[in-house]
This record gives sequence, C-alpha cells and structure tokens, in this order.
Amino acid sequence: MAEVVGPANVITDAAGLLVYEADGLTHGRTRPTIVVLPASTDEVVRIVAIAREAKVPLVPRGAGTGLSGGARPVDGGAVVSLARMRRILEIDPANGWIRVEPGVVNLDVTRAVAGAGMYYAPDPSSQGVCSIGGNVAENSGGAHCLKYGFTTNHVLAARVVLSDGAVVDLGGPAADAPGYDLLAALVGSEGLVGIVTEVTLRLLPKPEITRTFFATFPSTDEAGNAVSGIIGAGILPAAIEMMDRLAIEAAKAATGLDWPDVGAALLMDADGPKGEVEHVAARAIEIARAAGALEIRVPRDEAERVLMWKGRKSAFAAVGRISPSYLVEDGVIPRSEIARVLREIERMAREVGLRVANVFHAGDGNLHPLVLYDARNPGEEERAATLGGEILRLCIRSGGSITGEHGVGAEKVQYMAEQFGKDDLETMARVRCAFDGIALMNPGKVFPTPRLCGEKPGPYRPHPAEVAGLAERW
Amino acid sequence: MGAAPRPVEPRDAVLGVTPRMALEPATVDEAAEAMRALAADRLAVAFVGGATDLDLGAPPTRLDAVLHTRRLDRIREHAPSDQIVAVEAGMTLAELQRRLAPHHQRLAIDPPLPERATVGGIVAANAFGPRRTRYGPIRDLVIGITVVRADGVIARGGGKVVKNVAGFDLPRLFCGSLGTLGLVAEVVFRLHPLPEASATAVFEGLAGSDVQETIPVLRELAVEPTAVAALAAGGRFTLAVRFEGFAPGVSAQVERTLARAGGGDRLEGVEEAALWARHDALRAGGNVRAKATFAPAALVRVLDALAPLRGALPGEGFVVHPTLGIALLAGNLGVPAVVARAVASARAALGPLGNGSLVLSAAPAELRALADVWGPEPGGIEVMRRLKRELDPEARLAPGRFVGGI
Repeated sequence: MAEVVGPANVITDAAGLLVYEADGLTHGRTRPTIVVLPASTDEVVRIVAIAREAKVPLVPRGAGTGLSGGARPVDGGAVVSLARMRRILEIDPANGWIRVEPGVVNLDVTRAVAGAGMYYAPDPSSQGVCSIGGNVAENSGGAHCLKYGFTTNHVLAARVVLSDGAVVDLGGPAADAPGYDLLAALVGSEGLVGIVTEVTLRLLPKPEITRTFFATFPSTDEAGNAVSGIIGAGILPAAIEMMDRLAIEAAKAATGLDWPDVGAALLMDADGPKGEVEHVAARAIEIARAAGALEIRVPRDEAERVLMWKGRKSAFAAVGRISPSYLVEDGVIPRSEIARVLREIERMAREVGLRVANVFHAGDGNLHPLVLYDARNPGEEERAATLGGEILRLCIRSGGSITGEHGVGAEKVQYMAEQFGKDDLETMARVRCAFDGIALMNPGKVFPTPRLCGEKPGPYRPHPAEVAGLAERW
Repeated sequence: MGAAPRPVEPRDAVLGVTPRMALEPATVDEAAEAMRALAADRLAVAFVGGATDLDLGAPPTRLDAVLHTRRLDRIREHAPSDQIVAVEAGMTLAELQRRLAPHHQRLAIDPPLPERATVGGIVAANAFGPRRTRYGPIRDLVIGITVVRADGVIARGGGKVVKNVAGFDLPRLFCGSLGTLGLVAEVVFRLHPLPEASATAVFEGLAGSDVQETIPVLRELAVEPTAVAALAAGGRFTLAVRFEGFAPGVSAQVERTLARAGGGDRLEGVEEAALWARHDALRAGGNVRAKATFAPAALVRVLDALAPLRGALPGEGFVVHPTLGIALLAGNLGVPAVVARAVASARAALGPLGNGSLVLSAAPAELRALADVWGPEPGGIEVMRRLKRELDPEARLAPGRFVGGI
C-alpha cells in the first residue's frame, strides 16, 4: 500500500496507530493493521484492489468524530482515512451546488460559499471538525434538520469506489437521475457499501433573518408541552432544542452564561423571510408562555444569540464539568412522548443510582441522554452502559428508533434486532450485497447477523465459498 | 380468500401487456400470501394502484398477473401530534387528504389526478407536483415502508419517527422503483400543517430568459415559495409563484415578489386554484409525456434543446419548475421518427447540463420502438442490476419495465 500512496501516507507504527483505534466513541478500541491515506480516487481503487486480493477488510474513516464506533477498526483490517482528500472541486452558486472531496470539513463548505450568500444546511454539533464523507456515511443531522432535513436531503451526487474496484457515479446533480435511488442506499450506509471519493451537495440561500428565543420552565413536562404546542400550531422552527436541569447546570459551568437554575429550557430558532419569521416567533413565544414558561429571553443582538447557541452546542462537552465520565446516547421517540419518556428515564436512572443529563433536538424527538458516571467506582461504567441500553429499548417501545443521527456503528448492533425483524434486516443486507458482495467494507457494523451474499434465506447452510475455505462468515 | 384471482379485464393490461390473472388482496397479509403463491408458480407480476403513472416504463417482457392495491385502502395509524400517518398503499391521495384535513394536516405532495393516484403508486413512480419546490420529492416525505418482496416476505424499513438512521434506508430506496423491487404495501409519511393562507403571484408574457432569472431573483428576495412553475402560453410563459403559511407571512412575501417585478397579479381562492389546475392539465394531456431534468441555471439552453420535441407533439403542453430544474412536456404523437430524433437530440443536450436526463413517462408503441423511454443507462447501472437480482432473483416483478431492461 505504501507503493500506492507513498511511504509517508501509511501508518504502521504502534504510536501512530493508537490514534485510529477508536473514533468519537472511545470505549471499545481495536488496533488496525495499517492506516492508509490516499489522495485520489485512483489511489482508493488501487488500495481496494490490494485489500480484496489479500482479503483485508477496509474501514473508511473521515474525521473520526462519529459517536457509534462506525469507524472503529476491525480485527486484522486496514483503515482508509480520507483526511488527505480535502479539496473543494467545484462551486456552482448559480445552480446551488458544490462538489467536494470527502475529507472537506462540514463548516468549510459553508465558509467556501458564504460570499455568495449561501450555506450548507446540515449542522452536526461537530461541524467544525467532522468531514463531509463521514456525514454521508452517517446521514448526519444537526439542530437545524427539523426544517432543512438531513444529509440525505442535501446530497445530489456521489462518486463511490466499490469493493470490486468499480468507480460509480450516482445521482445527478440534476433531479431524478433515472434508475434506482442508489444515493438513498449510500447515504447513511455507515461505510458498508463503498468508499465515497467525491460528493456534490446542495447549497441553500442564507435565510433573511433568524429570530431566537430562550425559554425556561419548571420541568421538562412544561417544556415538552410547549414543543408540542408550537409544532401543533403549524409552526416549523428551524431548530428547537431542549435542555434539562443537569444540562443547563453543565452549560453554565462551561460557558459562564447567566442562565437560571430551572428544570428545563428551550432554545428555538425561526428563520426565513422577515414577515413570516416575526409572526412565527411571536406566536411561539405566546405558546411557550401558555405552556408555563417562567421566563423568555430574546437575544439583544447577534453576539448574544451566538452565545446562547454556544451554551447549547457546548452542552455535551460541558457535562465533563459535572461528571468525570459520561456516555452519550442517541435515540428517537415520537415528539408527543417527550415528557413521559424523560420522566421514565429519570426514574430508571434513579433506580440504578446514576444521573442522566438531557440535551436534545426536541422538535424531532431526537433524545441525547448523557449518562453520567465515575469510572473509578467499580461497576459504575457497566451500570451506565446497561442504563444506556435500557434507554434505547425504551425508545423502541415508545415507537421510536435507536439512533437519530449517530448511527448504529459497532455500538448498537445488538439493538438492531430489537428494532427490526429478521426479514427487515435480511432485506437491508441484500441491499448491501448489491454494492459489496464480499463484505470487504466495514464488516461487522450495523447488522447483527452475518449474511453472505448470494445465500438463500432460511436455515443456515454453509455458503459454497465457506465450504471451499475461501470466506468466513462476517 | 380475498386474494383469489378474479377474471381479467381490459383495464388490467400494463403497457399493453395483458396478464392471465388479476389479484386484489384486501390486507398486507393477503398480498404476501398472493406473492408467495406467485413465487411458487414462478409467475411474473406487476402492481397497479390508480393507474395514473401506468404508462411509465417499457412494457414488461413477461406478465402473468397484476396485483391491484385498490383494496389496501386503510389508514393504519394517524398520530396528529407527531404529524405522521401510516397508510396502506391503495388509498388515494385525495382520500388521504380528506381524512387528514380535519386535523389541519396534509401530505405535502400534489401530483395530478389525486382522486385516482394512490399513495403507493406515488411512492413507486416518484410522482410529484409543483409543491415539490418547497417540500421535496416523495422521498423527503416517506419515513417508513412495508414492502412485500418477490418471495412473499414482508419487510419493513425506516419507522414512525422523522429522524431515524437505524439500518439501510429502504423507504427512500423504494421511491421510484416502479414495482420492480417489491410491492410497496404500506407507507409511513411525515405530514405538514395545512396552511392558514395561500396566494400566488402571477406574471404573464415572460421569455425563457426571464424564467431563468427567477432563481437568482427569488434568492435575492429571500422568500420561501411552496411552488414555482412556468406555464407555456403561446411562445411565452406565465410564471406562478405560490406562498402558503401564516397570513401575515404569505402577504408579505407575495407583496415583496410583486414589488420586485413591478407588476403581476395576486391570485387567491378560486382563481388561484384554477391557475394551478391549468398547470396540472398542461402536463397531463396527450399520449406522449416527458420529464426533462437539468441544471436549473441552464434553462435557456434547455428550452432551445427541447424546442424540436415540443414542435413535434401536436397539442403540446409544457410546464417548467425552474428552481427544481425540471420541465414536463405532454402532447400527441406526431411523426414517430421525428419525435424520436428530437428525444435523442434533447438527451444529448441535457446530459452535460448537470447530468440531466429525459424520460418518456408515456409513449405509444410506435415511439417506444424508436426510442428507449429511459434513455442512456445511468451511472451505477451494474449495482442496480445486482440490487434487482438480490431482491427479485427470478426477475418476476415487472421484468423489463425499468431502466436498462431491469
């Protein structure tokens, strides 16, 4: 592989590999055999050919900010880091498109087009460091996807290297490319279908104005009702975020914001044309008051608005101020269940003697419970992990999902079979087989039950390749 | 058994191919049972909803049965406060909207013929209308799906929540798959509130270059229209820009748009509805229909490229969705060879414009004999063929109807 990318762009020494043992999910590590950093589609093709020949599984990796272990190496596998492929290839403001390599940082897309009055909408909290390739793999969301959608709504075309070495161009960027919507299968496939080497993204014009308010409530019950009331009134906020008491406390500790000590707070953005937005913001504030808001704060200027959002966006990391360790969960529930589910989470946490902070995208019911623990106390980490799992099960029981934006990765594989039936999973696995018939790409992630491609469904029968000793079940 | 075949009628034909049996299952389980029976006998089958997009694609190379979704017409779950609905494939769009309206909600998609078009058919055919401008294609509204595979297995993807990245995205993958990967049996949709007000700004007598200018102008105005369409009228265009939402916002945006143009009319109520009905009629007439897609900023060149085709279709209707980069043509077949040549030249011109395409969404056999309705094979065709083999290994689901002979 060194011949393909140059010796400077392969990592095989123990110290260098250490960085790649995990992604943003740091409990659970695997040392890769090698990390290779290609600089072009052609180099990726040659790496894939070598890996295919040597039967070495490949784990594609962007910025490594993922929170589900999707970029965690697999045993005996290689990591393909796309960090060197970070060129912006083409900006087309007239059509509202930009073509980039996968290593480009999310926020740099917006920076590149801000001069033209445009921006790239998906805004995961890690947008200052996470890469577009990773966003495509995870179908990343962010606070503002309530109104603007997820990565899948903004990817217009992609170039992908498949495990058989084929380079395929999927999608437009013009609308409705004939054929199956393979981009739909690609975006959110968590690195299981191929290695993306180019992406064309949709750009949006910057909204004329944004109105923001911060509202405090006695408890998450009232805050949850306010969210339901706002959405129920036909308002589509750009973002509506909720923090509970612990999360507010943490954000305050980290940022010095003068937020009060209350049971819950909402932070809402409405954006768009001036007349519409002012009307909507005023109505939302009325609804929040009627739902029992204690106090409503409207930022006096942009600086104060940015500070409010900084408080929200720093909340994850800020939890480190009030707890030595914590787990980040990511589950989704129907919006109308927020108040009930948060009470239930609190009860479950109390039962096992742990605390859970909640800071999340309330508009779409995407919870991010942060399970606080102290790894120095024997057994506490295990209890935290168990509680995290029980919270996911609660999401499933409530009609929701085990992940809204972080992905299944390595972490949630075991819960897939609780959310989906075996026929559902087997059908998804067939889709994967259409792209990667030899399970070269990121094996062991997402799907709990191995399936060899070309295998007839039904009771286990050894695949001919297994019998011949050519393949192992992954 | 509700899934027992009934006698075949002329309306059971799919693209001119008449099956030997017709099935009308009343439940998803019955549909699965019927599919298992067809699988056991290795019979080929096509799925039919309201037949509004039944002309799309090539005639199936083999067809033993049609499965109508007409009796799969129940709402399985409507959670107004979560703004989602789970509905069986055979419910018509109009009926669904009637059931949602008392809750002040709608499915924000508006293809023509809603009294006939079924939700399953809309998903399978990727049908859309002018509100796609704001709400996106059906793939942006589908959050969960239940399909019956070729082997009769019932499989689900997505779920009942809008935000969900667990597993592969089967709901979107089935959008536009035209019944060649499986039967779309039930769909969960994201809903939107019914707007409190609606108004359309209308501008008459525009040239193609004026329509192309719509995109930067709307961007500069920072307005958020729900629909933007240019209706061909003589050699010129009538441009319609629709705003929906809260009354103050709608008014402010319409007035701002009219002020920028220094003219134009504001339509509401009956007049507004008539304009959009005219839009639907323009794209739905005749026996030849086409959808062209392209880089939106290249509209003037696209209009030139489509001119020969428009000229070859007597009684032609033409609408452009300029911000989407989509043009829809409808008319009657003139001289087939002339139309086929015009299709080929249009495709050659559209390809370089953002990988644009032209699909014949309806074409009589004489035209199909001369022009592939789908056009050149798209990128990823080999993956598409493998996907078809994975989900329909015996090629029994409308074989040959889809892109590249799939």
